[in-house]
Amino acid sequence: MTVAEFHERVQELRQRYPDGRSAIMGALHLAQNRHGGWLPVEALEEVAEAMELTPAYVQSVASFYDMYHLEPVGRHSIEVCTNLSCALVGAQAVVDAFEVELGVAPGETTEDGAITFRLVECAGGCGYAPVVVVDQRYREPVRPGDVPALVEEIRGR
Amino acid sequence: MAAELTVLKGADERDLTKLDEYRAIGGYAQLENARGMTPEQLIETISNAKLRGRGGAGFPMGRKMSLVPPPEKRRSPAYVVANADESEPGAFKDREIMRRAPHRFIEGCLIAAHGIQSRSVFIYIRGEYLTEYEVLTAAVEEARAAGVFGDCDVVVHRGAGAYICGEESALLDSLEGKRGQPRPRPPFPPVTGLYAGPTLVNNVQTIASVPAILELGVERYSELGVEAAPGTVVYSLSGNVNKPGNYELPLGTTLRELIFEHGHGVAEGRALKAIIPGGSSVPVFAPDQIDVALDFDAVQAAGSFLGSAAVIVVDDRACMVQLGLRAEKFYMHESCGKCTPCREGTRWLVQLLERIEAGDGTQGDLDLLRDVCDRILGKSLCALGDFAVYCVASYVDKFYDEFKRHVDEGGCPFGGASSIEGVLAPSDRHAHAHLPLVPA
Amino acid sequence: MSSPELVTVVVDGLEVQVPKGLGLVEAAAAAGIEIPVFCYEPRIGPPIGACRMCLVEVEGTPKLQAGCTLTAQDGMVVRTAQTSEKAADGQESTLEFILVNHPLDCPVCDKGGECPLQDLTFRYGPGNTRMNFPKRTFDKPIPISPLIALDRERCILCYRCTRFSGEVAEDGQLIARNRGAQSVIATFEDEPYRGQFTGNVIELCPVGALTSSPYRFEARPWEIQNVPSVCGMCPVGCNISATTREGKVKRILSRNHPEVDGGWLCDKGRFAYGHLRAADRIADPLRKSDPRYEELSWDEALDEAESLIRGAGGRIVTALSGSETVELAYALGKLMRQGVGAHSAVLPEPVDRSLDAFRAPLSTIRDAQLVVVLGDEPVAERAPIVELWLKAARREGAEIVRQSAPDAALEQRLREAERAVLIASGADGAGLAQAAGLDREGSAAFQIPKTANGRGVSDGWSAAADEDAVNPEPIGLLIVSGDEAAADPYVRAMAEQAEKVIAIAMFRRLVAPWADLILPGTSYLERDGTYVNLEGRLQRIRRASIPPAPDEIAVLSRLAARFGVELSPHPSQVFEEVSTICYGGVPYGEVGEQAPLRPRVPASQVPVTVTGTRPEETGGPGFRLVTYRPLFSGPAVERVPELQFQRPGAEVELPRDAARQLGIANGQTVNVRSNGTSVRLRARLTRELPPGVARIPDEHAAGLDGRVEVSP
Ligand SMILES: Cc1cc2nc3c(=O)[nH]c(=O)nc-3n(C[C@H](O)[C@H](O)[C@H](O)COP(=O)(O)O)c2cc1C
Ligand code: SF4
Ligand code: FES
Repeated sequence: MTVAEFHERVQELRQRYPDGRSAIMGALHLAQNRHGGWLPVEALEEVAEAMELTPAYVQSVASFYDMYHLEPVGRHSIEVCTNLSCALVGAQAVVDAFEVELGVAPGETTEDGAITFRLVECAGGCGYAPVVVVDQRYREPVRPGDVPALVEEIRGR
Repeated sequence: MAAELTVLKGADERDLTKLDEYRAIGGYAQLENARGMTPEQLIETISNAKLRGRGGAGFPMGRKMSLVPPPEKRRSPAYVVANADESEPGAFKDREIMRRAPHRFIEGCLIAAHGIQSRSVFIYIRGEYLTEYEVLTAAVEEARAAGVFGDCDVVVHRGAGAYICGEESALLDSLEGKRGQPRPRPPFPPVTGLYAGPTLVNNVQTIASVPAILELGVERYSELGVEAAPGTVVYSLSGNVNKPGNYELPLGTTLRELIFEHGHGVAEGRALKAIIPGGSSVPVFAPDQIDVALDFDAVQAAGSFLGSAAVIVVDDRACMVQLGLRAEKFYMHESCGKCTPCREGTRWLVQLLERIEAGDGTQGDLDLLRDVCDRILGKSLCALGDFAVYCVASYVDKFYDEFKRHVDEGGCPFGGASSIEGVLAPSDRHAHAHLPLVPA
Repeated sequence: MSSPELVTVVVDGLEVQVPKGLGLVEAAAAAGIEIPVFCYEPRIGPPIGACRMCLVEVEGTPKLQAGCTLTAQDGMVVRTAQTSEKAADGQESTLEFILVNHPLDCPVCDKGGECPLQDLTFRYGPGNTRMNFPKRTFDKPIPISPLIALDRERCILCYRCTRFSGEVAEDGQLIARNRGAQSVIATFEDEPYRGQFTGNVIELCPVGALTSSPYRFEARPWEIQNVPSVCGMCPVGCNISATTREGKVKRILSRNHPEVDGGWLCDKGRFAYGHLRAADRIADPLRKSDPRYEELSWDEALDEAESLIRGAGGRIVTALSGSETVELAYALGKLMRQGVGAHSAVLPEPVDRSLDAFRAPLSTIRDAQLVVVLGDEPVAERAPIVELWLKAARREGAEIVRQSAPDAALEQRLREAERAVLIASGADGAGLAQAAGLDREGSAAFQIPKTANGRGVSDGWSAAADEDAVNPEPIGLLIVSGDEAAADPYVRAMAEQAEKVIAIAMFRRLVAPWADLILPGTSYLERDGTYVNLEGRLQRIRRASIPPAPDEIAVLSRLAARFGVELSPHPSQVFEEVSTICYGGVPYGEVGEQAPLRPRVPASQVPVTVTGTRPEETGGPGFRLVTYRPLFSGPAVERVPELQFQRPGAEVELPRDAARQLGIANGQTVNVRSNGTSVRLRARLTRELPPGVARIPDEHAAGLDGRVEVSP
């Protein structure tokens, strides 16, 4: 998506709401996709320009929500839920398995920039725990034994 | 016993994400039906059906609708906002409803809109539910194309990861393009809500229950569930249980039936240690409360809340201090930071719990932990502050000896064998914040 | 406006009658009871109920309520910490939580001694702390601009500063970042907080988190005096307190005049006091003895001045700045006009008295339905606080129309709106105001002058005599009064031709080498006297700081004596003379701390002058160029290092849509061309320009005029 297209899409979004400001979350999602999964300063400035808001305001909103990433991320993301239901059925063992398999700790990105590994709060899959989210798609449930194959699959993408 | 389904009815047999499949079982007939009624009649029907909110607070939907001023008394347009932010730990019911019966939910939204004479519906769906978002938007497009909307419009709005945005007033700020922080109330949303207009905020399941009320009629609907709270609920069962999952059952189903009949009992034949009846934010039950019926009043009478009817089963391998610590890390992480007691209190509780869990706590720390809970309770701007202490305070009260042993024995009595030993939370390591993280 | 219905509220057993809907905090105050607050500040918008300091018990509601978010309802029964244990516990809890991570560095905190957190902790707080974990730490203090330091550890997240930035100044620059316990106040990428009103957040901050860098460690609250005065930096005339220590001005605070400034100041008024200690400040009389200047004693200086004046044989012109007090202008007038019959003067600007028929408090703007800004001069640059009233009006639902010149449609709308306000900025509004009948209740018209006391100066000068001036040719002696006049190209040009020049000025670099005799001038912070602001409000300014040289009036009175003119050295007595002539004889003592606005002159009694002159029509290629004098410019600002970052960038403001059609994006560098000259400037797209207009600060518009072509 070019900046111009992005600008257009955002204007469409703004039209959907009685107050165009409501489009900021959608605009941030779009900008994040446009910039490889995170929001560098230029992305925030693009959103600000398209939304007719200040970059500061955009940053204040973006930094409030977990799904907007203000630091570089890998091409793919692996997120493990460790909230109560998942924890109770062994989420930490899954986390450990990923740490071993990926060689990075939660919150980090693999050296080759392929995968960012993160922990998340309750993903809403408690009945199919432990829940792992790969590039925003749920894998339910995932056992430590499934991890190597899963990582291989993702690296293959 | 195969209970009658309402919100998930037909979803096992057919692909209800398709408009014609849904129509084949009478889909959108109730919308026509409703549009045949006056708004007053409709609200009265929903009131008579005693439909109570499924999002947590259990407020009667009919009464909420009647709080919305009539058009002639409005200064700005009225809105229906469907709360699909489902983020309560343990809850995953709205997700299933949206994925498997999206049209029923949409039909409910349109009926509600007719009831409060609004032409604009917003569905706020949590950002993580990408697949559900796609299913829902597809259904919305299909329904719009088929012309069922009439003069009403529906916009699906994606959140971006913030539990607090499930709180109705925070949701409204978020929907308005601000940081999702709760508003002081009064004024309440039915009077001053989205864009300062009168706004009806209801949970996905509450809304998805409305068509069934019209279909069955108040009488038959009231035969389901209990006298004070008719109807069914989708119970989300999770934790140490053999058959976890969503179970749509009449309100008032007992914990025993849910866990042992439908859930086939505690996993690996372990002993039941604790039950969280309404999502992580409600007070915990001890095993001896297994016969409590899961409806709003009964659960409250037993000292907790039905909340989002998300039942988490905890077996005897789990350390309650660790469970409390993990729960509190969630609330600290999700506190919006607007009001003082929640922002500062949750962080302080985490610090105290960490110390106690590590075996470095004193009796003084344990007493302080309990006292800080009381100091937060009832003082925050929204209920998240309360949620953050219901859990921990009840763990301390109901499992005091276990907490005390951590203090007296200078460590976890499970000696590393707890099922949640060392579990990490996003707040422990997480690369979201733009600033260097504050040491928790 | 009908008087609101009264309701009875019971606070801690005391009954009070208050208007329905009044804030509970105010209602309690009416009963003499304090509901302590941190985040509550009605001036920055609706309450947010964040800090929870104001928790009270309300009969009928089980939970404690945030008092700040409640309004008085009839029969409401409220119990505060004074009478309710529950409320007291609530308040103590809040304070304990606030202090959990608040550092104990009060002894080195500039807020110490005037800190609400300190005071409330003392009154309501827990004696000891039960928090024995390491407190949250941040780098501190971090400069969020050369003017303001931020200490994130001290911040209690009341969101006053961010609400001011977002909802009052509407600059959207100071924000909260992150969530929950991680939340911090910040600017975008830690860029400096630039804007006309940033300093207000220092006064709003209830703790020592936002402090003034120029004031840092300058004084302790018990060493200072606050002198009530009025700002002399622009025609608004905000009411100020000058904080002084040992006779030196250390900071400027607002002294809320609800009709004039609403308790806000612009950064120029708040921070420009640094000019008092400028390196080139003149302390002694100087005589030119080419190529350099020699210092004179005061007697020599007076001899010199006398002989220059006598030598000119009446061929004298006096150029005034518009920063003189009424008294100083009158004193000069009396000496020149009565003493030597030199009536010719260059007044700072024409003053249109006809607007006195539409006179009203500036606060009238906030309550208007329709506000028309006529002319192209950016209001915010000439009279910043007026822009805040405009924004307030917009938030209250008023429609704001910005137009270059009047037309029939505009006149009709002004006539039809129930409450309409006209603000003429760089255009003449008198005719339009008259035609639209803006002298009706709730309506008003304002003319935004160029200078702080242009009106008062012409009052004073004309009060001194009423013969007409004959302009001398050639000019024998030019008397330049004040630094603004000395900096004015037109006056400079006259000085070129004048045989001799006497300059009264503060800054040497402005008047050397062209003035023959230089007399030290003083600043509005060093004078006593009166100013007349753009409303026509007569206000009292007070000497806060001791000038390096005697007050001008004292000097002029000695000089006047040599010409047989009796002139008191005391501003108070000089004022009494002027007052009887043009202010209906108000005594000096009654001008007052919070001056009232004099009543309107009936429209029938004011002469109506020209109606707005239409600028060349907006057709044709490109944009009509408007250049303006930026707020952050002028002799005083130039001498305050901390203010330099506020000087306008090399930018051109363009109407947003027109610019985007030309493929110009916000922040992009563009070419601006007119008759041969071409300048590269950063484009700033805005919706607040009249159509077809491009606006550039004069210091960046060199060589451009008329219509400009703009291209990427
Ligand atoms: C911290 C917090 C989180 C909440 N999260 C949700 C949620 O995810 N979904 C929901 O429907 N209600 C949630 N609620 C309850 C809403 O505030 C609101 O009561 C509900 O949406 C009303 O709908 P109902 O009457 O149909 O239940 C939450 C409340 C709080 C205080
Ligand atoms: S209780 Fe927590 S989440 Fe709710 S307003 Fe206060 S800080 Fe925000
Ligand atoms: S003053 Fe009421 S919550 Fe801050």
